[in-house]
Amino acid sequence: MSGPGTTWYLVLAAFLFGIGALGVLIRRNPLIVLLSLELMLNGGNLALIAFSRHFANGTGQIFGLAVMAVAASEVCVGLGLVVAINRKKLALDVDRLSELRG
Amino acid sequence: MTYGAWLCLVAPLAATILILLGGTKLTRRAAAWIATTSVFVAFGGAVWAFLGVHAYQRPHTLTCTSFPDLCPPQRLTTAWTWLASGHFKVGLELFVDPLSTVMMLIVSGVGGLIVLYSIGYMDGDDEERRYFAYIAFFVFSMLMLVEGGNLLMLLIGWGLVGLSSYLLIGFWHERPSAVRAAKKAFVMNAFGDATMALALFVLIAHYHSLSFGVVLGGSGLSQTTANWVALGLLGGAAAKSAQIPLQTWLPDAMEGPTPVSALIHAATMVTAGVYLIARTHLIFEQARTIELIAAGTGALTLLVAGLIALVQTDIKRVIAYSTMSQIGYMFLGAGVGAYSNGMFHLMTHAFFKALLFMTAGLAIHALSGEQDIRKMRGLGKVMPFTKWCFLAGALALVGIPPFSGFFSKDSIVAATAALGTWYGWVFWLCGIAGALLTGLYTFRLWFLVFPGEPSAFVEEHHHRHGRWGEGPWTMLLPVGVLAVLATVGGWLQWSPLWHPFTNWLRYAAPTLAAAEPSSRLEYVTSAATVIAGLVGIAIAWAIYSEKRLAIPQLPAVQRALENKFYFDAAYDRLFYAPASALAVVLRREIEEPVILQGGTDLGQTALDAGGLVRRIQTGLLRTYVFFLAAGAAALVLAFLIAK
Repeated sequence: MSGPGTTWYLVLAAFLFGIGALGVLIRRNPLIVLLSLELMLNGGNLALIAFSRHFANGTGQIFGLAVMAVAASEVCVGLGLVVAINRKKLALDVDRLSELRG
Repeated sequence: MTYGAWLCLVAPLAATILILLGGTKLTRRAAAWIATTSVFVAFGGAVWAFLGVHAYQRPHTLTCTSFPDLCPPQRLTTAWTWLASGHFKVGLELFVDPLSTVMMLIVSGVGGLIVLYSIGYMDGDDEERRYFAYIAFFVFSMLMLVEGGNLLMLLIGWGLVGLSSYLLIGFWHERPSAVRAAKKAFVMNAFGDATMALALFVLIAHYHSLSFGVVLGGSGLSQTTANWVALGLLGGAAAKSAQIPLQTWLPDAMEGPTPVSALIHAATMVTAGVYLIARTHLIFEQARTIELIAAGTGALTLLVAGLIALVQTDIKRVIAYSTMSQIGYMFLGAGVGAYSNGMFHLMTHAFFKALLFMTAGLAIHALSGEQDIRKMRGLGKVMPFTKWCFLAGALALVGIPPFSGFFSKDSIVAATAALGTWYGWVFWLCGIAGALLTGLYTFRLWFLVFPGEPSAFVEEHHHRHGRWGEGPWTMLLPVGVLAVLATVGGWLQWSPLWHPFTNWLRYAAPTLAAAEPSSRLEYVTSAATVIAGLVGIAIAWAIYSEKRLAIPQLPAVQRALENKFYFDAAYDRLFYAPASALAVVLRREIEEPVILQGGTDLGQTALDAGGLVRRIQTGLLRTYVFFLAAGAAALVLAFLIAK
């Protein structure tokens, strides 16, 4: 097998996931939050594909495709929400969207 | 003949359903006529069945002694198997035999006349349609009771007549007293239903069947079991027939409309107990002690009710107590084993007691609902037809020949003496004393209400009804027919000389040999009861008409009688008071602290828990995500450590 070993891929995937999670946790702009979410999903995707290659089994790749589809639809909804918030002239700040407070 | 029986059963049910479904689309008149027609159709069916049995009976002179080999004049007709559980099967079946056809004829015949009478009596009532639906339903239930082809069908009819009696007693539901009376009747009857159901359970346990053929023909019961079964059946019979100690509901049931009193609480339903004893006489004969207890109950009831009737002032209550007393006679007859005599008295009683109730109804109707006999003096002058019809009923009730009561009552009293034992003679004395009381209370009523100049109250309140002044023809016709029947109905049988009625019932309920009196005994008894009745009438005449005798002043006795021998008070103390005391305690100790408070406590706890948990809901997306991530991380760590 050529190229770097599976471990490297997994480490990269973990980094991507971690950066994404950190972005979701600390950024306040919903657009950036969505962007970070994409990073997390792609970190997961990378891990799936790495394992797929590691075990020489195509199932992981299929899952990767499924995740991409989910991600695309999720971004659609997310961006739609962002546009709707903007239209209502609300602040684009996730901390101020706290109607769920108990 | 089985088609006749089915027609008889189904016609009133169809009328009920039709009236209920028709609702306000039917006029009141139409509802009334539907009910009346259906009951007369049922009578036609009963005649059909009767002729069928009759045709069967004539050519066969063979006697069959044991029940299970179906004697010629019996037919069991099964529509379908209705309940099946393993080997235990109950069919929807009717039993047509001499006994049930006699009952069918009485129920639908007298019933038809009374429903016809109701058309006039209930005219203008707010809820006429409901009344006619109920009364047709009652006739259906009663026919189900008498035609039922097994003990379960009988019990169903038994329960349904209790229900329709409840509905009709409480028909004027805006009167609290009527509602109370209805509840009382229902509870008392439910007690009887329960004892009867217990008896049936015992029978199922023994025979795995409830069909008449198996249960009545069987002989495998031990003495104790037979006693318990008979006692359970007797409980049902006593409750339905208002015998001591379950009698207190019947006088209160007079709160219902008068035709209901005539139909349910005089002519048909209350006599169901006698029918039950005659129908299950083979069980009662296995438990002879219980059967004699039934006779003793009847003897006691006939005296107690006769005494109470002496002081009642409500015209319907006097007749109600007289009904109890006469059913006491029937129980006496059936209890000593003279079933056909009891049934014969049931039939004549249905005629003359319905007649008495309906003439009382005419009087009440004409006086705008007044029922107090002290205000009615001189009613005969303004209502001659009512007066003479009442007299026919009264003479039949007292048993003066040639009126019907004479023929039926005397043979019962004679049968008790035929036993020849000491209790037989006690019963005989009770019967004679009862005849005296009957003469006294019946003619007290007569002398207080009918003869003489009309009282001021009658003058003021009496108003003429219909073309003949005493009521519409729908009311007068049944009264006239019943007056004729009450007069001649007894000629069917005079036990010393001819007894077609007893012959007719010889397969279904043959008289026990022990209760066959000699002709001499019959004559002596007849003379004694007639003399006792005449003495009663004479005393009533002396006290209430001529005022030669003063009413004996015995305050203690009077009070006891007016309080109906304290039965109601005793039941209040024994059952009602402890139950309500227990209910108060349970409310204070259980319901309020545990159930009511428990609910609030539970709610408060949930609220408190919610108050704690809501702090977590910050509304900040990041905290949610943080918890998610932290949770996922914790899970991963846990897996790693566990591995």
